[in-house]
Parts: sequence; C-alpha cells; structure tokens
Amino acid sequence: MNIALSDYLLVSAALFAIGLAGVVMRRNTLVIYMSLEMMLNASNLALAAFSKFNAALNGQILVFFIITVAAAEVAVGLAIIVALFRVRQTVSADEINLMKY
Amino acid sequence: MNYTSLFGYLLGEVVLTAAAFVILIADVMCHRKDDVGARNQRMAWWTLTGLFLAAVVYAIQFAQGNANFADGTLVINPLNLFFKEVILVITAITVFFSMEEPVSKHVGEYYAMILFAAIGMAFLVTSENLLMIFVSIELLSLSLYALVGFQKQILRSAEGAMKYFAFGAVSAAFLLFGLSYIYGATNSLSLPAIAETFKGDPLMARSPVLLIGILFTLVGFGFKIAVVPFHLWAPDAYEGAAAPVAGFVASGSKVASFVALTKFLLLGVAPAAGAATISFPFTPHFTPGWAPVIALMAFISMVWGNLAAITQTNLKRLLAYSSVAHAGYILVALFGAKAWGQTAIYFYIIVYALTNLGAFGVVTALANKVGGDDIRCFAGVWRRAPGLTVLMMIFMLSLAGIPPLAGFFGKFYLFAAGLAADQMQLGYLWLVITAILMSAVSFYYYLQVLRVFYVNPASRGGPISICPCQRWPMTVIALIIFLIGWYPTALLDWIQGFLQRV
Repeated sequence: MNIALSDYLLVSAALFAIGLAGVVMRRNTLVIYMSLEMMLNASNLALAAFSKFNAALNGQILVFFIITVAAAEVAVGLAIIVALFRVRQTVSADEINLMKY
Repeated sequence: MNYTSLFGYLLGEVVLTAAAFVILIADVMCHRKDDVGARNQRMAWWTLTGLFLAAVVYAIQFAQGNANFADGTLVINPLNLFFKEVILVITAITVFFSMEEPVSKHVGEYYAMILFAAIGMAFLVTSENLLMIFVSIELLSLSLYALVGFQKQILRSAEGAMKYFAFGAVSAAFLLFGLSYIYGATNSLSLPAIAETFKGDPLMARSPVLLIGILFTLVGFGFKIAVVPFHLWAPDAYEGAAAPVAGFVASGSKVASFVALTKFLLLGVAPAAGAATISFPFTPHFTPGWAPVIALMAFISMVWGNLAAITQTNLKRLLAYSSVAHAGYILVALFGAKAWGQTAIYFYIIVYALTNLGAFGVVTALANKVGGDDIRCFAGVWRRAPGLTVLMMIFMLSLAGIPPLAGFFGKFYLFAAGLAADQMQLGYLWLVITAILMSAVSFYYYLQVLRVFYVNPASRGGPISICPCQRWPMTVIALIIFLIGWYPTALLDWIQGFLQRV
C-alpha cells in the first residue's frame, strides 16, 4: 500500500480542525487543554510527513522540540488552572467572566 | 561549527540564564527568613547585575564581526545586538519599577521569570530560523503567562493569565501549523534559504501550501503583537497583571515580536507578498499573499483599537487598546520599500515601547496610592504628584504623536514608508489615510486621560512620595523621548547603519 503526502496532510488537517473545534466549543478548561495538545500534534504529523517526503531530517528534529515545548506549555497551563480554581472554585470557561470588553 | 566560539556568541544569554538560577537559589538558600520587601530589593539588584553583565557582553560583541550559526539559528550582527540591548534596557526598567513593592511573596521566582522572558526575547530578535523563532516565542510566552498570573490569590490576575494562556496556546498551534506548511513548501527552515527558493521557482509565490502556511503563521504573530481580531487577550491580561508586568508585556514582548515578524515577512517570504492596493479613483487590486491579510489586520486594528479605547474606564485597558491601534500603524510600514519600511518599523517600535513602558510606570507608581487603576481614581492627581504628572503628559502626547516628541517622528516615518509603497503608485494610500484619521481620533482619549490628571477636582490626600527607583527610570525615558524628538535622525542613522552592516 502506498500512502501519499496528501493523505498525511489530510489526517493532520482533520486533527487540527477537531482540536480547534474542541477549543471553541468545549466549556471545561481541562478539555480545552486536551484539544490544544491535539492541535500541536497535528503540526507534528505534518512536519514528520513533510520531512519524510522532502528527504530532509530537520523537520523531524523540530518535532522533538515541539514535544518538549508542549509538555512545558501544559505544565504552565495546569498551574494557571489550579491557581484559578483556588480563587474561583470552578474550571468552567463560562464562569471566567470578571473582565469584559 | 565550533562549540567554543558558539559559546562565546551565546555568552550574553548564558549570563542571563546563570543570573536567573543564582536568583532562584539565593532566594531559597540565603534570604528565606528575611522580610519580603528587603528580599525583593536584594533580588532586584541581583537581576540588574545580571542584565548589566549581559549588556557588557553584547557591547563587546559589537566590535566582533558578524556570525551565523546552524542555518540561521543564531545570527550575530549589529542590528540584532542593538535590539538585544534595547530588550535589556526595557527589562532593567521593569525591574526598577518592581523594586518598591514586591508583586508577590515569591520574589526569587518573579525575577527569574522576568529573566527567562528576557532570554526568550533576546533569542527571538537574534534568530532567522523557523525552529528557533518558534521555541523562543514559546519561552517568552510561557514566562509571560506565569508573570501575568503571579498574584495568584487575586481573581483578576488568575483570570487574565487564563485568558492570555488560552489565546496564546491556540495561536502557538496556528503558528506551528503554518511553519510546518512553509517548511513543507520550501524544504528549509532558515529565512534566507526560504527566500532563495523563490528565485529558482517562479510558481513558488503562488503555491497554495506556502500561502496556507503564511496565513496560519500570521495568525500566530497577530496574537503576539495583539492586532484585531487576535487582540482579545490584551485588555484582560493587562488589567489582571501587576502594572510592571503589564508594561513588560506591552513593550518588551512587542519589540521582540515585531522584529521577528518583520524579518519573517521581509527577509523570508517577501516575494509572496501579493497586493492589496486601491488606486485612484476606486480600483481595488487584490492578489493572494500576505499583503491583503496584513492590510486587513492593520485597517481593523487602527479603527477598532482607537474606537474601543474611547469607551474604556480603566487606564490599563485604555493602554491595551491604544497598543492594538499602534500595532495597526506599524503594520502599514511593512508595505514600504524593504530598507525604508524596516527602518521606520524599527524606529517606531523602540520609541513606542519606551513610551508605553513609561506610561505603565506612572500607573505602577500611582495606582496603589490613589486607590486603583480606574481612570477616575487619578482625578486631580497633579496636585499630589506634579512631577509624575508632567512625565505622564510627555508619554501621552508622544503616544498621540504631537511634535516635537519622538512619537510624532515615529508615525511620520511609518506613514511615509506606507506612502512610498507600491512603487510610488500610492496604492496603499487608503491605509495611510485611515492611519492619519485614526491618530486624530486617538487624541481624544489621550487628552481625556490628561484632563482627568490635571483638570478634574482633586482627590483628597497629601503629596504622594515616589520611590527614586521609579522616578529616575521614568525621567530617563522622558528625556530619551525628548531627545529623539529633537534629533530623530540620530536614531534613524544608527538603525540605517546597522541595517547596512547586516
């Protein structure tokens, strides 16, 4: 079976779209974070695929950096959720509405 | 590649990292039992020492030649070094502003985070490689998220950090997705190599993969520089953050992001600009590329930023919307001829960052003593702090763009670059006219702030004493703004000289 570049890109675009939809529509901040990870992984997939079909390694190196950065990002994000939960007692995005416009 | 020389070229960042770790350790090991105020001052001086040493290192590197490591990952040239120095100055001023009153009891972490953010900015202005640009943007952003949420027992601070993080993480994903497509289309990560690919392949500028990549990347950058429609985080993050942190986000991170965006567009993907001209009488001409996107973002930012600023009642939110509008003005110059547009942008971003930092300094110094950062709290404050109010007038008038202050010449160069765009065919005249009209609108809210400071009935209370650690940096900023206003060509010649030696 022969998998073309466009197939990888299709899956990657679908992952990105699902992640974005999750960020926009979900109300629980923890689920929003999970969707964010999916968006990052969409680009990982695209990079790895481009790297394979361009016959160059630097795209795959970038993937390793992204995985590390994504882990750091989750650490900071969860810390912010915990801080917010301590003062607000909620993880729902609907109730984070003190400041507007 | 020689690792000893690489270490030599990275020495400034190494010094900053070392300073951050020294501060973290010293705070825990030696000063845990001290009073918070005293610890805060001691850590601030440690930070300033680190910043000073790094500034010395960069100054020495000016004398050495240019260098380029690992495919543009680390590019040393006078222009990049100059911007690193600017970032160190901005960081140092932020540290001075935080000296009087600790932002929270976790003093060591606060200054370490500021240093990490400064390292991120330094790497961002010095790299011409997509990988490094992404990693340094993330280093910068992650530190700033933490800094905005630093007063974690205050709901506004935690909420501001949450919103900043949520928008920031989505835009980082967009940026990354865009970068991966650009990599796929051009098969290279360094900006000069990307520019090379256009020469061999005339169809490259129209390649859909590349255009999608550029579009998504611009979403990511649009968030960092806070242009409409990616500005929603800015007012909330500024309002929630402590005033010195808000000033740092509004100045330092703007400088670094604008330098990176300018390099990305003008160094990397300039041939894929497309067009968004409207020539006389009314014949719009749009071709796909980054120009229509940037033109649209600039247009809405100028209009919406200025109109929304009028209705604000909180001084930090007003400054946030004014920064959205200023981001719009700066984008206008991107269409100018390469050298002239770059010079105008670099000139303006320095002037703007210093002025904004000064304005946030005034908020820092006064907010606690007048009982809040709502504009009405500052009523008649000039009776209580006359010197500071004069400084605020200089900052506001410079932001509004009144001659002979630096802000006027900055805007003049920006708009002149916008007019000279499109081979002198005045195709971007519509943007320049919008910019000038909207600058006129902006007078209203800047003067409104000054009216409250000077004219409104005075609040009760005696004279406000300002810590010298805040008074002196602000005075220096005001002096610089004045001097650049009187001799704008001095800074302009510097930047042009650096650009020629790139």
